[in-house]
Amino acid sequence: MLEIRDLTVRYGAFTALHALNLSVQRGEIVVLLGANGAGKSTLFRTLSGLQRPAGGSATWNGTSLTTGRPELNVASGVAQCPEGRLLFPELSVEKNLRLGAFVHRRDPAGTARELERAYDLFPALIEKRHAPAGSLSGGQQQMVAIARALMARPQLLLLDEPSLGLAPLVVEQVFSAVQRVNETGVTVLLAEQNAFAALSIAHRGYVLEGGRLTLEGTQQDLMTDDRVRSAYLGV
Amino acid sequence: MLQQLFNALALGGVYALVALGLTLVYGVMRVPNFAHGGLYMLGAYLTYAALTGLKVGYVPALILSALGVALLAALMERVIFHPLRNAPHVHPMIAAIGVLFFLEALISHPKVFGPDFKQITEPLPGIVNLGGVTLTWQRLLIIAASVLVMLGLNYFLKRTLTGATIEAMSQNREGARLVGINTNRVGMLTFAISGALAAVAASLIAPINAVTPSMGEVMNLKVFAIIILGGMGSVPGAIVGAFLLAFTEVFGGFYISLDFADVIGFAMLVVVLALRPQGLFRKGT
Ligand SMILES: Nc1ncnc2c1ncn2[C@@H]1O[C@H](COP(=O)(O)OP(=O)(O)O)[C@@H](O)[C@H]1O
Ligand SMILES: [Mg+2]
Repeated sequence: MLEIRDLTVRYGAFTALHALNLSVQRGEIVVLLGANGAGKSTLFRTLSGLQRPAGGSATWNGTSLTTGRPELNVASGVAQCPEGRLLFPELSVEKNLRLGAFVHRRDPAGTARELERAYDLFPALIEKRHAPAGSLSGGQQQMVAIARALMARPQLLLLDEPSLGLAPLVVEQVFSAVQRVNETGVTVLLAEQNAFAALSIAHRGYVLEGGRLTLEGTQQDLMTDDRVRSAYLGV
Repeated sequence: MLQQLFNALALGGVYALVALGLTLVYGVMRVPNFAHGGLYMLGAYLTYAALTGLKVGYVPALILSALGVALLAALMERVIFHPLRNAPHVHPMIAAIGVLFFLEALISHPKVFGPDFKQITEPLPGIVNLGGVTLTWQRLLIIAASVLVMLGLNYFLKRTLTGATIEAMSQNREGARLVGINTNRVGMLTFAISGALAAVAASLIAPINAVTPSMGEVMNLKVFAIIILGGMGSVPGAIVGAFLLAFTEVFGGFYISLDFADVIGFAMLVVVLALRPQGLFRKGT
């Protein structure tokens, strides 16, 4: 499981996360709701080892995620599909995916198998496999980004605002793919502002405001909570 | 006329090898390595030292020199560029200029090689006749070797996973870290490759030109012009820019005046940049 204890992250004098406590059980889809600037990406970057915390800990199945070496986090089963996707725009879709499997470079057979699974999950990518990733539509780029993270064969998948800037129909496709990935046993932590679509596939959720968790509950709790309804569901 | 064509091809090949290393390093580190000319100069001296000191043949000398400079370039990444990676860009730039002058002063020191020029004798003396055109074996060797090295580099970058990590890191550094690429290692590897390319280029042209402590400064100017022309960080841009500069210099020198060869090269740079400020191959990012 993912266990976050008193995690504090600062940018200089500014504290972006205040002693956060959060956990995700194996097999869950947990959504992290928060407005722009709440600290969602900061948390995700910390969980991937891109950002060192000022205090507290984050572990996946007991392995520390805060050593400041992202490659170790990927190797211990935590992969991220980041906000803004961060693809390699001039490399082909397939090369982006192969690089996603970089930590499994000594297992080409396994990578070939995962590549097949990625194309099964997102058939739209098959005919684009040789196109530069940067030439794809926003929705297809998001699929490449998710597939690239899956190529690392994660046990925990971190998805940072995958619906950002996508048309509602594409959001639906992306989220149904996430649900299918979860059914294969991958734990998912999902950051979103688009609360409705995210909550509809999540088991549980947290609300992050100004670097502090202000609410937590099951899908039902959050869907029916007045504060969530007014702030994130626009009801 | 055809003679000049071969001269331009040989010169372009040398420029391309040096410029490729510089553009790869810029792509990965996002910092211009002003010490690159120093590595080039060092490559020529290491080859000279291996030839005269170790008394090995030309090819083993070239390989030893490439390995030596590669090692030194990787070390330079570790002790200069890596510690300064989060500092403002002027810091590594100034440090690199410092390395350039340090290397030059070190080589010029009387107890090392001294300020006078050194001569490397041609491994294959004499000339060949290619359908009426005569050219020296050395020029033919330069053309063949530089094409071979470029093909090898292209294979490495496009067809191997390690090569792909270099391209990935230059296209999106954070993305590269997120897939588990060790960017420190890629940085060192890229520096090593750039050093080896510079040393090979210097060793190829050394039998034609004299080996001097200041040869790196001159080359620095030219390869910076080339990669600005081609687009900073662009591999095809570095190759096209290199041959463009070489052809302008050779043919400009031939038809106008040899004294103006360098001036014509830089005039072309100014014209191209006036028309395309981002360089020939740089996408507008
Ligand atoms: N590199 C940075 N330097 C300084 N402040 C930052 C940096 N990145 C994010 N912040 C600040 O931290 C806060 C949280 O940002 P972020 O984690 O990106 O939020 P979210 O992803 O929820 O929109 C914001 O106030 C933002 O301005
Ligand atoms: Mg964010």
